[in-house]
Amino acid sequence: MNIEFPILGAKWAIGALALFHTSVASLAIGFALVVTVLEITGYRTRDRAYDYMANRIQLVHVCVYNIGTINAIGLVFALSGLFPQFWSQIFVQFYWSLIVEEFLFFLLATTLTFHYFFWDRVWGHKKLHIFLGALLTPLFFLQFYIINGVGGFMLTPGYGEAEASLRIGILGWDRMGFYNPSFLMLTLHRTLANFAYGGFGAAAICGIGLYFTGSDTRKRMYELGGRLAFMVGFASFLSLPVVGYFYAHVLQGHAHQAFVNLMWGHDDVVAGGVDWWWVKHVLVAGMLGMCFTYFRRISNEKMPFSIPAVMVYSIVLFYLVFYVAMGMVMTWFFFWAMVTCGVGGALLCHHLLSYHQGSPRAVFLVVGILSFLTVMLGGYAREAARPRFVDRIAHYDHVFVPEERQPYLMVPVDPAEIPPAPVRPELTGPQALIRMKCIGCHTLDRVKRYEPGNWRLIVEQMVAYGLKLTPEQRETIIAHLEAGEPY
Amino acid sequence: MTYSHIPIATLITAFLVLAPIYEYIGYRKKDLRYDRLAKSMVFFVMILYSPGAALGTGIPMFIIGLWPEFWSRWSNLFFWPLIVQFALFIMDVICLFFFYYLLWDRWQTRKRLHIFFGVLTALFGLAIQAVWDSLGGYMTTPSVEFPMVNEPVGWSAAAFFNPSFFPLFFHRFFGNISYTMLLMGGVFALKYWRQKDEAEKAYFGFAADLTFTIGFLSFFAMPFVGWFFAKIMQQHAPVAFHALMGGHTAPHFIIKMGLVALMVLLGGGYLFSRHKAKTILAAMTVGVASLYIVLHMHPPLHWLPGGDFVWRAFYTVVLVAVIGCFWYFSRRSAPIRERWKWAMFIAGMAASFAFIMGGFVRERSRQPYNVYKQLVKVEVLPREADRFLMYDKCIGCHHRSLNDITRFTVEDWDRRIEIERMRPGANISEEEAERIIRYLKEYHP
Repeated sequence: MNIEFPILGAKWAIGALALFHTSVASLAIGFALVVTVLEITGYRTRDRAYDYMANRIQLVHVCVYNIGTINAIGLVFALSGLFPQFWSQIFVQFYWSLIVEEFLFFLLATTLTFHYFFWDRVWGHKKLHIFLGALLTPLFFLQFYIINGVGGFMLTPGYGEAEASLRIGILGWDRMGFYNPSFLMLTLHRTLANFAYGGFGAAAICGIGLYFTGSDTRKRMYELGGRLAFMVGFASFLSLPVVGYFYAHVLQGHAHQAFVNLMWGHDDVVAGGVDWWWVKHVLVAGMLGMCFTYFRRISNEKMPFSIPAVMVYSIVLFYLVFYVAMGMVMTWFFFWAMVTCGVGGALLCHHLLSYHQGSPRAVFLVVGILSFLTVMLGGYAREAARPRFVDRIAHYDHVFVPEERQPYLMVPVDPAEIPPAPVRPELTGPQALIRMKCIGCHTLDRVKRYEPGNWRLIVEQMVAYGLKLTPEQRETIIAHLEAGEPY
Repeated sequence: MTYSHIPIATLITAFLVLAPIYEYIGYRKKDLRYDRLAKSMVFFVMILYSPGAALGTGIPMFIIGLWPEFWSRWSNLFFWPLIVQFALFIMDVICLFFFYYLLWDRWQTRKRLHIFFGVLTALFGLAIQAVWDSLGGYMTTPSVEFPMVNEPVGWSAAAFFNPSFFPLFFHRFFGNISYTMLLMGGVFALKYWRQKDEAEKAYFGFAADLTFTIGFLSFFAMPFVGWFFAKIMQQHAPVAFHALMGGHTAPHFIIKMGLVALMVLLGGGYLFSRHKAKTILAAMTVGVASLYIVLHMHPPLHWLPGGDFVWRAFYTVVLVAVIGCFWYFSRRSAPIRERWKWAMFIAGMAASFAFIMGGFVRERSRQPYNVYKQLVKVEVLPREADRFLMYDKCIGCHHRSLNDITRFTVEDWDRRIEIERMRPGANISEEEAERIIRYLKEYHP
C-alpha cells in the first residue's frame, strides 16, 4: 500500500520533479563556470562588457539557483511520501554523504549570495571577488560528485559491493556503494554536459538580450559575452561523446539491462510510441550541425572567440566516431533522421546568421533551447532505462535489504516481499582460474566471442601477450574451455 | 539545523509581510523614506533567501537519517500539505525574485501592480508558514492517531487543523513581526549613531523609531494569543503544558520571560519618552498591562516566601510601578537617540533571543516524544520516559503545583506513591509505580 499520485503516477511525479531540478541545477553549475570565465576575461582585458555580462548571468543564476533549491526540497518530500522504502534505504547507506552534500549546499548558497549581491561593494577587491566566483565551480562539483555517487549506485550497484557493505553493517557511509562502477563516468559526463548546457544557456540569455536591447553598447556586451559563453559550451559539448562512449561501456558491463533498454529502445525509454533516447540524439545532430556552421562562419570572418575551421572538422569527425562506437542500434530511419537534422541544423544556422546580418542572436537562442531539450531527454532516458521498481521497492541487480537492516528502514517490509538477490555460487577450480586470469586484460564477453575450436591457439596467444600461466594452469584452462563448460 | 533555519525563515516572512505595507504607505504619502525602507528590507531578504533555503533543505536530510520512522510516518500523514507547501514555495520565489525585487525600479510608475506582487509574495510566505505551523502543531497536540507508513494517508483534515494550529500560527506571526522589527529598530539606532551625513542620519532616525515602535506594539498581541495557546496545550497536551509552566522546561521559560521583561523595560523606557501621542501611549500601556495575563498564569515561582499571595502581590506591584515609571518618562522631553542606541539594540537582541527561546521551550516541552504520546524519540533516556510518566500520572491532581514534590524526601516516596495509587482515578500500574518511584528517588531525593 502506497500513497498514489493522481494523473501522473508516482514514478512520473518524481520524474517530473527530478527533471525540473536537473534543468535548473545543471544550468546553475554551468553558469558558475561561464560567469568566472567572463569575469576573468573582463579583468584581464579591462573590458567592462564582460564584467557586465558576468553580472547579468549571475543574476539569472541566483534566481535559477533558488528555484532549484526549492525544487530539491519538493523532491525530498515527494520521495519521502511516494517511495519511502527506497528513500530510507538510500539514507541507510549514504546518510553522511548526503549530510556533507547539504553542508556544501549551504556553503554554495552563501558564497553565491555574497558574490552577486556584493558585486559592486567589493569592486576594489576584484581578485577576491573573482576568487569567490571561481570557488562556486569546485563547490558545485563536489556537491554533484556526491549526488552522482548516490545516483550512480541506483543504476550500477556493482557486483556484490552493495551486498558486502550492507552485510558488514555499514550504516551511513557505504564507501563501496558510493564508488560504484558508473560513478566516475557519470560524474565526468554530467560535468561536461553541465558546462555545455550552462555555456549554451548563457549564450541564449545573451541572444535574448540582443533581441530586446536597442543600445549599441549593450549589444556589444551581449554579443561578446554570448560568443565567449557559446565557445565554452561548444568545447564541453564536443567532449561528451568520448565520455559517453566509456559511460555506455560501463553500463554494458554493470547494468546490462539498462544498456539494452537504452540502445535498443526498450522499456520506459519508449514512451507514447517514441524512443526519446533517439530523439535526444537527433537533436544533438541538429546542434552539431548548427555549431559546425557557426564556427566555420565566424572563423572565416575572423570574429572573436572562433575555433579554426580545420579543428572543428577534425573534432566533429572524432565526435562521430565515438558516437557510432557507443553501441546504439542504427536503423535506417534513425540514420536519415540524424543526417536530416544535422544538415537541417547547418542550413538553419546559415540562414539565421545571414538573416540577422551576422548577429548570432537566433543561433544562440535555438542552440540554447536544443541544449535544454537534450539535457532533459538525456536525464529522462538514463533514469527510464533502469528497470522499474517493483512495488516501490528498490531492486536492481544486486541491491537488496538484508533482514538485519530492516530496523533501520522506514517501512516495515516483510523480507519475503523483497526480491531475492541472485545467488552467486563461490567459484572454484577452472572457472575461478579463467576469471582470475582473463579479466586482468579483458571482459569475459570477449572470451565468449572466440571460435570454440581454437582454444589452444588462443591461450598460447594470450601467453605470448604476457599472461602468466604455469603449464598445469594452461592445460586446465584449455581442457575446460574445449569441453564447453561454463565459466 | 532548525535553530539556524527558523530565525532566517521567520525574518524573511516578517519582512515580506511588512515591506509591501511600508511601500504602500510611502506611495500614499509620497514619502520616499518608506519606499527606501521597504526596498532595503527586500534586499536583505534576497541575501538571506538562498542560505535560508539551503538550511531548510538540510532539516529533512537530518531527520530522515536520524529519526527515520518519525519522518516516514509524518510525511505519510502530511504528504499533500508538504507538496502544496512546495508549490507555494515555488510561487513565492517566482513572485519575490522576478516581480517584486527585480522590477522594483522598473515599475516605479506601476506602483500598485508592484505592491500587488509584494502582497502576493507575503501571502505565499504566510501560507507556507501556516503549513509548517500546522505540521509542527500536530507534533504537540496530535488530533488523530499517528499512522504507520503502510497505512497510506496523505492528507487528514483533522490532523492538519489540530487544536494548536491557529494559536501557534498567530503566536508565531506576531512573534515574527515583533522580534524582527525590534531588532531592526536596534540596528537602525546604531546606524543612526554612526552616520555622519545629516540626511542619512535623519533617515535612520526615522527608520529606527518606526520599526521599533511597530515591533514593540505588535509584541503585545503575544500575551493574548499566548494565553489561548497555553490553554489549548493545557487541554490537549497537559504534560507539555506542565513541563513549560512548572516542569523541566520551566527554567528556560523563565529565562525567556526575563528576556521579555528586559525588552519591555528598555523598549518601553525609550518609546514612552519618545512618543507624545496619547493613542500610542494608551496602546503601549494596555500592552504592558496585558503582561499581567502571562504572570498570572505562570505558576513556577511558588517557592517564593509567602506562596501564591506574595507572588501575585509582588508582580502586580512591579507592573503598576513599571507603568507608572513609563508615564513619568512620557512627561519628560524627548530622549536623545544617541543615549538610547545601546538600549534599543539590547532590547532588539533580547526580543530575538526570547523568540528563539520560545521555540526551544515549546519543542522541549513534549520530550521525550517526537509526537506527543504517540512516537517516542529514538534516543530517549529512561529518566526522560520516567519523568514523562510521573508528570502524566501526577498532574491530574497536582496540576497547579507539582513542586509539591519538593516537600518529600527519598524515604517518603515508596509510601507516598502507594497512597496516591489508592486514590480514585489514579490508575497507576505496578510497573508504572516502580518507574515513578525510581525517578523520584533519583531526581527528587
